[in-house]
Amino acid sequence: MDKYDVIVIGSGNGGLGAACKILNAGKSCLVCEKHNIPGGFATSFVRGRFEFEASLHEFNGIGTDEEPGSTRKVFEELGIADKIEWIQLKDAYHLISEKEGYDYVMPFGAEAFAKESAKLHPDGEKYIKDFLALCKQIREAMGYLSETKGRPDPKVMMEKYPDYLACGSYSVKEGFEALGYPKEIVDNLNAYWCYLGADENNMTFLHYANMINSYITGGAAIPTHRSHEISLACEERIHELGGDIWFNTEVVKILTDADGHVSGVRLKDGREIESRHVIADCSPHVVYGKLMDSEAVPERAVKLTNFRKLAGKGFTVFLGLSKSAEELGITDHNYFIYDSSDNVKQYESMKSLNNTGAQATVCLNNAYPECSPEGTCIVYMTTLFTDDVWSSVSKEDYFKTKNKMAARMIERFEKATGTTIHDCIEEIAIATPETYARYCGHPQGTIYGYESQYYDGLMNRIQMVEEDRFVPGLRIGGGYGERLLGYPSSFKSGVNEAGRTLRDMEKEGR
Amino acid sequence: MAFKKSDIPGEDIRLAMEMTAKRRQLIDETPATPLVYEYGVNRLAKALHPGFVKAVIAGKAPAGSDCVKIALEPAGGGGFPYFRAGQFVTLSCKAGDSFLSRPYSIISSPKDALEGKLEIMVQRKGIFSTFIIEEAPLGTVLWMGEPSGDFHHDSIRDRGHVVAIAGGSGVTPFLSMMKAIRDGSEDFKLTLIYGARTRAHIPFDPEEFKGDGVDTVVVLSEEEAEGYRHGFITADLLEECIDEDTSVFMCGPDAMYRFVRGELEKIGFDQTLIRSERNSVGDRAVDELKVFKLIVHIRDAVYELDAPNNETLITALERAGIPAVVRCRNGSCGFCHSRVVNGEYFIAAENDFRRSADKKFGYIHPCSTYAESDLEIDIPIMDLEG
Repeated sequence: MDKYDVIVIGSGNGGLGAACKILNAGKSCLVCEKHNIPGGFATSFVRGRFEFEASLHEFNGIGTDEEPGSTRKVFEELGIADKIEWIQLKDAYHLISEKEGYDYVMPFGAEAFAKESAKLHPDGEKYIKDFLALCKQIREAMGYLSETKGRPDPKVMMEKYPDYLACGSYSVKEGFEALGYPKEIVDNLNAYWCYLGADENNMTFLHYANMINSYITGGAAIPTHRSHEISLACEERIHELGGDIWFNTEVVKILTDADGHVSGVRLKDGREIESRHVIADCSPHVVYGKLMDSEAVPERAVKLTNFRKLAGKGFTVFLGLSKSAEELGITDHNYFIYDSSDNVKQYESMKSLNNTGAQATVCLNNAYPECSPEGTCIVYMTTLFTDDVWSSVSKEDYFKTKNKMAARMIERFEKATGTTIHDCIEEIAIATPETYARYCGHPQGTIYGYESQYYDGLMNRIQMVEEDRFVPGLRIGGGYGERLLGYPSSFKSGVNEAGRTLRDMEKEGR
Repeated sequence: MAFKKSDIPGEDIRLAMEMTAKRRQLIDETPATPLVYEYGVNRLAKALHPGFVKAVIAGKAPAGSDCVKIALEPAGGGGFPYFRAGQFVTLSCKAGDSFLSRPYSIISSPKDALEGKLEIMVQRKGIFSTFIIEEAPLGTVLWMGEPSGDFHHDSIRDRGHVVAIAGGSGVTPFLSMMKAIRDGSEDFKLTLIYGARTRAHIPFDPEEFKGDGVDTVVVLSEEEAEGYRHGFITADLLEECIDEDTSVFMCGPDAMYRFVRGELEKIGFDQTLIRSERNSVGDRAVDELKVFKLIVHIRDAVYELDAPNNETLITALERAGIPAVVRCRNGSCGFCHSRVVNGEYFIAAENDFRRSADKKFGYIHPCSTYAESDLEIDIPIMDLEG
């Protein structure tokens, strides 16, 4: 068949979510993926006797069987929930920040988190309870906005969600200033900043507050078989629903007709597939800059894309260690290790190739002991580069540069945790921005889509989502989408764009 | 109200209401300059990982009695991708009615590759090596996969001194490492212990690389000669070569791995410091030879062919002339990752490097999988356009 109702470009979280949504609605769908497996960053790889998770640290919004979180509900609607086995995480994080001397573990759960905060400040418990109450209103307001499809009753908003409205323009820094919490409490609440990768002057308060609330109150989980399990669950669902997914299949052109409406795609081998609707799970830079003829791209699409900032470029060291976590004294699953809790400074320092390696580090065995053979463990440490410094690395220097950076990160981890791991590394793999660019084609090897900026944050993107699309029949979802980066966000963004595509088709049919 | 920043009544909400208008204005003010979607990082990714490229057979030179060195040049000039000394490339082409692919270790240094020079070592043993050595004339164009594999020295994982143990054409990755040490692209010490039957079987010059952190010891099993050891690669020789800071790398036949591992155990060498290059998965012994029906989907094309139960699925695909993606041929790299639609199959535990979710959902690597019944699989297309 050379004709589909919808073609999805890219099978990352967004593309897979979109395809499942389209197929569940009874429409035909082809997914074109240029790599040989689905998932994009949601994948894993094997080295020797270790299977490494490629990107996921923790999946938020899953909840429990009894109390499913928002993402699990989406999985249920799409028919993939039963295909994935989840492991609930016990603790939220182990924060180590050198400058302030922080070194403590925070648990999941609103009560437990508030209680633990009393150790940071005498009034810690109260601050956290107040904060979570504010977050609850924010979450409910977002729910209401979503129910009313962005056309809320202003009266309802003013009466029920005044705090949501009041903090709507502010950055994280401004938000916490207004709340007047002491430094220890704010620093702790800022621990998650690296998950969104924008500093407190740019990160929008609403978005950030909503995310940490979701983590603290809803907890997080990981799939038993690495994130590859999520990707294969989606692929299986796609096949069950009669969809097609073609690997090693790169789309080189999105075709449009005389009216400027999407009419299909061209593959690298020249074959053309007809479709009136394309959902692209890749960067708008690539979509408008590379996949479309420039005359088919409206000027404002170019302006919008130029307006945006490419976010953090990924760097991860994957280690298979020949000793157990217990033997090594690695006690926790999830570490945040910073030079300082001043994330503006930390962000600045991450612009350099001599980045000291502020890191989010996972020891997988502390969540899932059977993830590697007995007497071994898996540790992976991720950092970001907040500038395009890897573009200046030559072919000849590349391998040495990546090993230097990796060695610094390992040393950093050892120093922060008081462990010794460098002498029992049985397997190592290092992913640089070049690696992420290789597998997923992202400009500069960014792994976080477009960075949250003061005026390009979550709420603005959601409110302007229709205004931000320019080519009839074309929608862009995934990590560059309106919900920004992250597993649940990129997945839901794809599902949402598919929902909008279905509505477009409905309108067309009328 | 719990949240208040401005003392001016209504100011907080007014600012929030202005957010979209401000964004709209900022977009208006942004220039519509052409979009940049490719940066140095993206270009480097492409240079290191171009996918398949076309390579021309530019020379053949016998190396010992069992091997031939094949010199490759990029079709259309330029350089080959930079790589890690110790890696391999996969060569593919149509030979008779078959479409064949085989991995070969690189002899050259990574620096040579940049200048468009790449030598590989081909041992005379099968259908593809016969084709390359005997049949394909100079100038023959082959598809070459990008340099791959994790059999290389890593400054973080491995010790500063590698005791490299090789037999047959297994010396090849170490020749590349020795060249790389000599030209400065790698920085570690290497002691090569090479086992051969007689001097006539040695495919390299043992004196060529000695010095500058490299030493070579050749052990002959069927000949006594001056300057050569006699016998096998035994515990006392290993003990002589191994120091406090040693990793052991092995490349050769599986029987050699088993023997040397046993010898290393005798001297109490840490097993986690041993790395061996994996060999291709070949035919298996079966009680009863059966030929099953194999249905293969590639995108929307469907093929039907025979799959004998003693051969890997990739062999069946190649015999049928279907261009099938494959890289390492030993089950580990995952390049041929494919979906089983229906049917039974067998994968030996020692060749099973699939991800755990692959096992759960029924995915295989055809290069290490045998049919146990009629089988229907969905394989990715071979993207030969690079």
